[in-house]
Amino acid sequence: MFADNFKISLRQIRRLFILDIFGMSSLVLPGIFSALTGADGIFCLLLGAAAGAVLLWLMGANIKHIEDDYYSYMKDTAGQIIADVFMVFYFLYFVTLSGYVVYELTALTLSWLLPEGSFAGVSIVLLLLAVYGSIRGIEGRARVYEIIFWFLGVPLLLMLIFAIPEVNTAYWTPIVGSGGPQLLRGGTSVLIFLLPFSAMLFLVPFSRKPEKMASCGRQALFVATGLNGIIYLILLGAFGQNAMGVLERPILTLMGMINLPGGFFTRQDVLMTAVWFFALFALLNTGVFQGTLIFKELCHESKHHYCLYAVAVAAFFIGKGLSEHRFLADIYEIYQRFIALPGMFLILLLLLLLYQVKAGNRRGKGAASNEEE
Amino acid sequence: MPIQITPDLQENITNFEELFSDSEDIKKRKIKVGKNLESECYIAYIEVAISNVDWKDSAVGKLLEKLRTLPESQLAGYVRDNYYDISDAKPFETIEDAAQAMLTGDAIFFLDGYNKAIKIPDKGYPGRGVYETESEKVIRGSNEGFSESIKLNTALIRKRLRSPHVKVRETFVGRRTNTNVDLVYIKDLIHPEILEQIEKRLQEFEIDGALDSGIIEQLTERRKYSPFPQFQTTQRPDRAAMAILEGRIVLLSDNSPVALILPTTYNTFIQTSDDYYSRWEIASFTRVLRYVASFLAMVLPGLYLAVTNFHTQILPTDLLLSLAAARQGVPFPAMVEVLIMEVAFELLREAGVRLPGANGNTIGIVGGLIIGQAAVDANIVSPIVVIVVALTALCSFAVPNEEFATAFRILKFIFIFLCGSLGFFGFLVGLLTVLIHLSHLESFGIPYLAPFVGADLNGYQDERDTFLRLPLDFLKKRPVYTRQGARTRLKFGGEETRNREGK
Repeated sequence: MFADNFKISLRQIRRLFILDIFGMSSLVLPGIFSALTGADGIFCLLLGAAAGAVLLWLMGANIKHIEDDYYSYMKDTAGQIIADVFMVFYFLYFVTLSGYVVYELTALTLSWLLPEGSFAGVSIVLLLLAVYGSIRGIEGRARVYEIIFWFLGVPLLLMLIFAIPEVNTAYWTPIVGSGGPQLLRGGTSVLIFLLPFSAMLFLVPFSRKPEKMASCGRQALFVATGLNGIIYLILLGAFGQNAMGVLERPILTLMGMINLPGGFFTRQDVLMTAVWFFALFALLNTGVFQGTLIFKELCHESKHHYCLYAVAVAAFFIGKGLSEHRFLADIYEIYQRFIALPGMFLILLLLLLLYQVKAGNRRGKGAASNEEE
Repeated sequence: MPIQITPDLQENITNFEELFSDSEDIKKRKIKVGKNLESECYIAYIEVAISNVDWKDSAVGKLLEKLRTLPESQLAGYVRDNYYDISDAKPFETIEDAAQAMLTGDAIFFLDGYNKAIKIPDKGYPGRGVYETESEKVIRGSNEGFSESIKLNTALIRKRLRSPHVKVRETFVGRRTNTNVDLVYIKDLIHPEILEQIEKRLQEFEIDGALDSGIIEQLTERRKYSPFPQFQTTQRPDRAAMAILEGRIVLLSDNSPVALILPTTYNTFIQTSDDYYSRWEIASFTRVLRYVASFLAMVLPGLYLAVTNFHTQILPTDLLLSLAAARQGVPFPAMVEVLIMEVAFELLREAGVRLPGANGNTIGIVGGLIIGQAAVDANIVSPIVVIVVALTALCSFAVPNEEFATAFRILKFIFIFLCGSLGFFGFLVGLLTVLIHLSHLESFGIPYLAPFVGADLNGYQDERDTFLRLPLDFLKKRPVYTRQGARTRLKFGGEETRNREGK
């Protein structure tokens, strides 16, 4: 009938990606920019977005050739073994992403909402919610984020407007003072936060219009980059480069400083944490869902939920590890920067090349057989 | 094995009376008929279901009168050829079918020499007639309400939808009650799969008795553990008619004044009949109010606990101090205080519902004013908690559907526990759980959160009738419940007509 067809609309996909990309990047990127480049952070953002657009182009170019699903496409194009290796690569990416988001979301909760809480307690509750959110497939997940999109977006936009009086434009200068390596590093950081877009490749069977998914991704990229740009400029104008560098989550600190008209609520940081709570949860849900999807395909298992539970358990231990051992966070950053990021580009590029070669061969054989006839 | 009716009247009487032995409420009469009163017929009926005073003026009386003018040899032929002169008369070939027909409130007629029994309708079982609805009150619009008679209820819908496309499909539920269940719909508007699905679900269970539509509702719901109802209920024929015009199906059950509407969504529970009878501005305003009320009915006490126990920095210092001053001397923790007040309020509500009309109002006044004031004076609860609980109750009353409001009443207690123990984190966890649950929930294939989700299924048209009820000119399309190709509900004349009217 209408529901239960396991297909989601372009609007749902767009909103899913906006929340996936915006949540983590708006929390973490301002701190990275202020440390690296100061006012030039905006250029890092643009550089990262441009690279993100290239990534999306590569995805779109591959999606065009996907007939059933991404795994089958990889098998047809690169062979079973290479496809399995790539699937393991994607699986590791999404599972570690889930673990990292569990860590960040739990840290956010413990810092702003529940200081007396325990890491294990909070992260288990969050993972149970993620399991519940994923258990009924893509449709339920997409619906949640379709509905809360405006509930989060409108207060955020309002708060950003109210924050404008706090901005001192003198802090926006000097610009173009950073060197190439810093800009490149900042741009790479932005690109790392755009990697969850790769979930798009696995969403082809679930999309009502797969051919328009890449364009949907570009719109999401545009919105997320725009929001991050506005947030960064407001934060930079409100705190300055040095102050922002020492704040743990500058955007949440800013939310606590804004004076609302009427002045009834004195601090909104707790209320506004909801925006990032939901946005990070969206990313957690994406990680768990995609991880499960890939795991199920690798195990040829579709009926039971064992894979989902396994991914959730893995995410818990990764999150716990990241919270307890600082070196694991450094390893995770190295993994993202030097393995996940280039890997995503290389896989897509390789698949596209192999596809073109195979298509060329097929065309050549076709022409030869025609000549013979 | 059903017993066949034979031309032998005595055999039929024996079989029939064996079925209804020890049933003093059933009147059985053997009456002489024919010109010379040499033949016999047999009439059986439930005492109050057939007119006693004007028996001779009834269909049964008139038939007997006619049969006394005919020669004995022509009686069977006359009945066979002319029974359909009596409206809704029906022949039966087995004793069981005849008995069942009599139990629907009609008289059953056997004639010597005729191998069928005829059902002859009369006034039927006693009922209430058409009364004003007790719930779902409106400021503007009809006040007629459904009653316990399914025939009357069907007629009330027919009165509003005078179209041959309106169909009534009849079925029976309950092995012992044989309750009549009607599915009313417009054939060319509904999705046939939805009709198939409800019919299938009605066949899926066998129960001894279905005394109210509530039993059918619970037995045909797919997500039984959800607090949210998956059928909309109404006691208003105009609401039911409106739903049918939207391509939805109305399920009527005999002996129940509550009709079930399917499929349903969160949005339809918030809509009322007079949303469409009043101007769009006020309709939109009250609808937004109801949406906010449905949310606050669930979370307000929990939010109060989260803010006062965990995140006091949100509130201005003056307010915080006055809250603290109000709580001075209260011996209980805030969560216990809220729970005491909420439970007390639920008790008052329950007592008010069970007591007869006037006493129910008294309970409200005694409970709300006197006990509340006394509890504050005795320092059992603080005044702010009384305000919070009263506001929450107001919000739950503002939700137009009682069953739907009940879901929020139950969830409110979960939010009290979550927020009382985990603060705003508990609130977010609760909210997310409810959202995920609602996003998984469907009513006959329609997402419960439609059209906030999946609005593309109807070209984003349904969003015009959600938080805001746009002017009727904008609501040209029927909602997604209507089958594709039949969604236009409002058309204006062509350009030419408009110009002519302008002149």
